[in-house]
Amino acid sequence: MARLGLVIDLKRCIGCNACTLACKQENGTPAGIHFARVITREVGTYPKTRRTFLPVLCNHCDDAPCAQACPSGATYVREDGIVMADKSVCIGCRACAVACPYMNRHFVERGLLAHGYSGDGVSPLEAIKFTDFEEGTMTKCTLCAHRVDQGLEPACVVTCPTDARIFGDLEPEDGRLRQLIRQRKGWTLLPEAQTRPSVYYLDE
Amino acid sequence: MSGPPSIAIAPHRFAYGFYPQTWWNWLIGSAFFFGEIGAGLFLVSLLGDHALGMLVGYLIVMIGKNTSHLLYLGRPERFWRAAMRPDRSWIARGIWATGIFGITGAMLLLPRWFSLGWQPQGALNSAVIWMAGLSALFIMFYDGLVMNMSAAIPFWDTGLLPLLCLTYAALGGTTLSLTLRELTGEGAAVPVMLVQTEYILLLTNLVLLGLYLAHIRSWAPAARETVRMLLRGRYAPVFLGLVLAVGLVATLLLALVHSRMHATWLVVLIAACELIGDFALLMVLLKAGLFSSQTAPAYRSD
Repeated sequence: MARLGLVIDLKRCIGCNACTLACKQENGTPAGIHFARVITREVGTYPKTRRTFLPVLCNHCDDAPCAQACPSGATYVREDGIVMADKSVCIGCRACAVACPYMNRHFVERGLLAHGYSGDGVSPLEAIKFTDFEEGTMTKCTLCAHRVDQGLEPACVVTCPTDARIFGDLEPEDGRLRQLIRQRKGWTLLPEAQTRPSVYYLDE
Repeated sequence: MSGPPSIAIAPHRFAYGFYPQTWWNWLIGSAFFFGEIGAGLFLVSLLGDHALGMLVGYLIVMIGKNTSHLLYLGRPERFWRAAMRPDRSWIARGIWATGIFGITGAMLLLPRWFSLGWQPQGALNSAVIWMAGLSALFIMFYDGLVMNMSAAIPFWDTGLLPLLCLTYAALGGTTLSLTLRELTGEGAAVPVMLVQTEYILLLTNLVLLGLYLAHIRSWAPAARETVRMLLRGRYAPVFLGLVLAVGLVATLLLALVHSRMHATWLVVLIAACELIGDFALLMVLLKAGLFSSQTAPAYRSD
């Protein structure tokens, strides 16, 4: 059984937020909702300072706390490990958002779909994309399941100009992702949360 | 607790730092509050066979708690779906408990207040009483389990939280029971044990709160920052002022005064102080919850 995931090479990431924008373009997320984002931090003391970038998205955890917290069963895990949210079942209790240690669940507020980014009605593109959302329910990154199902890679992966994102199956021990994680001592965010994320990071 | 925190609250989701819990707001706080004090009052009144207390407690849960929950939901018309996964979700288990409480509570209360010509007898009566009592007990503390299940927020990640909810619910129920008896002219006939229970619960809550903060301080950095916010930061006025000073210390002192000077207005004042402290505690528990910061291990300063 497959377990789809990502490896993100922080040595390559330049913090350009192309992934953030590609995700918004592909998924047409409403204003204020970012399935992919880059956390920026300044480290060191003047004059020896630098900025570090940490691209984050749903970790599609193997032991997803959002799915466990969901009382309606709207959040579920696919056979390939992708964590999904069914908007037609969601009741908008936001238990998944409180349970996610990575802050990667998003609530579609009432009235949010009535206006697009221009604030002056929705554009033709938004009118199409917004049908994937429902006000009063939770939404999340699907690892571009609609693309994956067609044999394509997620939008954030194909867009990354530095090839910092590698998409694939984490299950085979001799697979590309596992080899990279082994060789470069890959790590996950907040391992103490014991969620077994499917997004790994490399910085060695 | 000395020196400035090494990590600040992140101003937005693209910045590094602790992210405040903003999902569960005052409506959830109200639902938890009504659930705790309503179920507490019902159970205390059930044990003391006080029909009015049972009725008021029942109405607080069924109207106050449930309405708050419905107002909060993004899709209230689908509320019934919240009961679908009791195998894994404490929210779903809470829905089931509230449903059982609603049915068994009505079976107990309706024959008492209306001439239906029917009331549960024998084994059925015992079963209804037990189910109503146990479901009320569950409602008193399950909100602590709902919050506790979220390991994402270290401040809630302790087994002391459900216990704290239970003791606060018991205190709220006892206080309301005493107040109702006073207002209906039964003040002189209040069981001594009920008054003693009030004192014991006030002291228990004081000790539990201290233990909670002491225990959670040694937890994750986000929990330490929450404790700092409660004791010296933006939530200090609410926590120190309303939760501790008004909710526990003033209530305790007024209760001691009441033992020497009996007055109805004093009982109402005690109830007001205790309920303010109870609600304030739930609100700071929700508002002061912080998610851990996310960063590469190489850059961790926490």
